[in-house]
Amino acid sequence: MPESLRGKGVIAGIAMGKVMIVGQNLDGYLKNYKPEDQAKEAGKIEEALQAVAEMLQGNVRTLQEKNMPEQAAIMEAHRMMAQDPMLSGSMMEKVGELGSAPEAVLAAAGESAAMFEQMEDAYFRERAVDIRDVGKRIAKYILGVKEPAMGDGAVILCGYEIEPSVIANIPTEKIAGVLLGAGSTTCHAVIIAKARAIPTVVGIGDDIQKIADRDDVIIDGERGDILIDPSEETRETYEEKLAKQQELKSYYAKLAPLPAVTTDGAHVTLAANIGTHMDVDTALTYGCEGVGLFRSEFVFMGRKDIPNEEDQFKAYKEAVEKCQGKLCVIRTMDIGGDKPLPYLNIPKEDNPFLGCRAVRISLHRRDLFLPQLKAILRAGVYGKVAIMVPMIINVDEFKKVREFFEEAKVELTHEGKAYSDSVQLGIMVETPAAAVMAPILAKYVDFFSIGTNDLVQYTLAVDRGNHNISYLYSHFNPAVIMLIQRTIQAGIDKGIWVGMCGEMASDPYAAVILLAMGISELSMSAPSIPKVKEKIRSVSMERAKEVLAEVMKMEDGNEIKEYLHKAL
Amino acid sequence: MTEATMMIENKTGIHARPASIFVQTATKFKSKIQVKAKNKTVDAKSILMIMSMGLVKGTEMTICADGPDEAEAVKTLQELVASKFGEE
Repeated sequence: MPESLRGKGVIAGIAMGKVMIVGQNLDGYLKNYKPEDQAKEAGKIEEALQAVAEMLQGNVRTLQEKNMPEQAAIMEAHRMMAQDPMLSGSMMEKVGELGSAPEAVLAAAGESAAMFEQMEDAYFRERAVDIRDVGKRIAKYILGVKEPAMGDGAVILCGYEIEPSVIANIPTEKIAGVLLGAGSTTCHAVIIAKARAIPTVVGIGDDIQKIADRDDVIIDGERGDILIDPSEETRETYEEKLAKQQELKSYYAKLAPLPAVTTDGAHVTLAANIGTHMDVDTALTYGCEGVGLFRSEFVFMGRKDIPNEEDQFKAYKEAVEKCQGKLCVIRTMDIGGDKPLPYLNIPKEDNPFLGCRAVRISLHRRDLFLPQLKAILRAGVYGKVAIMVPMIINVDEFKKVREFFEEAKVELTHEGKAYSDSVQLGIMVETPAAAVMAPILAKYVDFFSIGTNDLVQYTLAVDRGNHNISYLYSHFNPAVIMLIQRTIQAGIDKGIWVGMCGEMASDPYAAVILLAMGISELSMSAPSIPKVKEKIRSVSMERAKEVLAEVMKMEDGNEIKEYLHKAL
Repeated sequence: MTEATMMIENKTGIHARPASIFVQTATKFKSKIQVKAKNKTVDAKSILMIMSMGLVKGTEMTICADGPDEAEAVKTLQELVASKFGEE
């Protein structure tokens, strides 16, 4: 029976395919499970261990054939755990105590995981997650909860919440779409999906239970529509839409190797915003020239403690290497009361957007900031790197940052670790204070990158998440445009480069006037790159300057927007 | 029973990749194989036990095997540790 649901579309695009339920809770299955005698339960464990090990072995082979050695190594480690004599011994003991095979498996895996969680070394602590994962897989086999093998076609992942590792560990081409019951648009899973341009619908709520494993669904990531078991007619309509989408995609793919230059030869660098090093691969297919914003907070999220210098170094190094000599701008931790980390113990604040966040935390916490700076400086050896500091409001803060930066170098020298001396140090201009002070700040920094999401919100005093006032939120508001122009001009006057890494950079019409102001880099989520590039390649610098001159005469944001859509 | 004592000399110790290689190699033999270090004795065919030992560089360990292919097992594993698992 066809049924339709509605959520919030967060990543545009049509996807069709079979649902794969992930992150599922086994409680219901365990309750309904009827154990037999101990010998039979023990036999079930043995059979499940064998079957799971074979399945994992199959995954390892597939991943090796696809030349994904890292993911293959993870699966290989899981296979060895499934065949581990200590773990199976412990399962056999537990089956005597608990009577139920799946309960025994989960208890034994939980016990081993707890042992690893207590270890000092972060590497071992992370293995606890793997052990639990393997335990869950074995329990699922016994409970008869089907897990689609990875050899199948692309699937639509569905879950109330999906752990980032689940999405991160599945190759992009295997995920057609993502459906989330939870409403967050900034959770790790959504950000990974965004970087890979996977159509995504969130905020489905409890209705998500109406979607079953292996259901045929169509999702529209723009409108938020979810069609379960669609009729033949509906299917045909969407197949046409999908075909158009593919056409556009191949057109954009042709644009990827072409430079972002105007018809009269002015060039602007189009870079990507990323959350993990894996996003760089996707970004390169869209033709990005380096990374303009690596959100380092993802290195900090989803864990129980502060990542040490070594862990951070590895994460940054991978991203830097993947940039193949193009600049990789790493933003230092941008975390605050709105997205707290339990291990940082930030007190609850009434107004987190005006609270202790981003660089304000970094400057108070040497134990966080110094290892991060050291890790980035070390990653600099593997390519071209810049450090970008968020939320700066005055010169004093930046001077303190510079002191930390020099201290990090001194420590690295003493420790005999290799680092790059050519790492640039710049700031994000995302507060009105920084934009107003840009001519002064420009004396101290190596570059500016304008963060429009916060700059618009702080300049206009408009919370962009508030639907009642969202009509006021616009990057074309003249107050915002003037602050941006001031910032770019201050950079040009002092001979430093100015880029932009907020949403505005992905607006093709905005890109044209930014180009005319003299911006040298625009960084955005990778799927936006082709449409911005297309627009830039269609205008001349001369025309862009004429348009900018008109815009600067206008008094209203809506007027500017309408004019740009007509003129370009 | 055959046994041999050696020092772990590779940079990362028997950690991550080296631990996998060590256990995979041990699993190929029929003999019961144990690793003794830091006053503990564990099954050399268990990746979890081996990893939980914390065998870092500079640790002294003894490999002992008991079974039909014990001599070959000890020799192979000893050579593997001495080869530093292809690391520095």
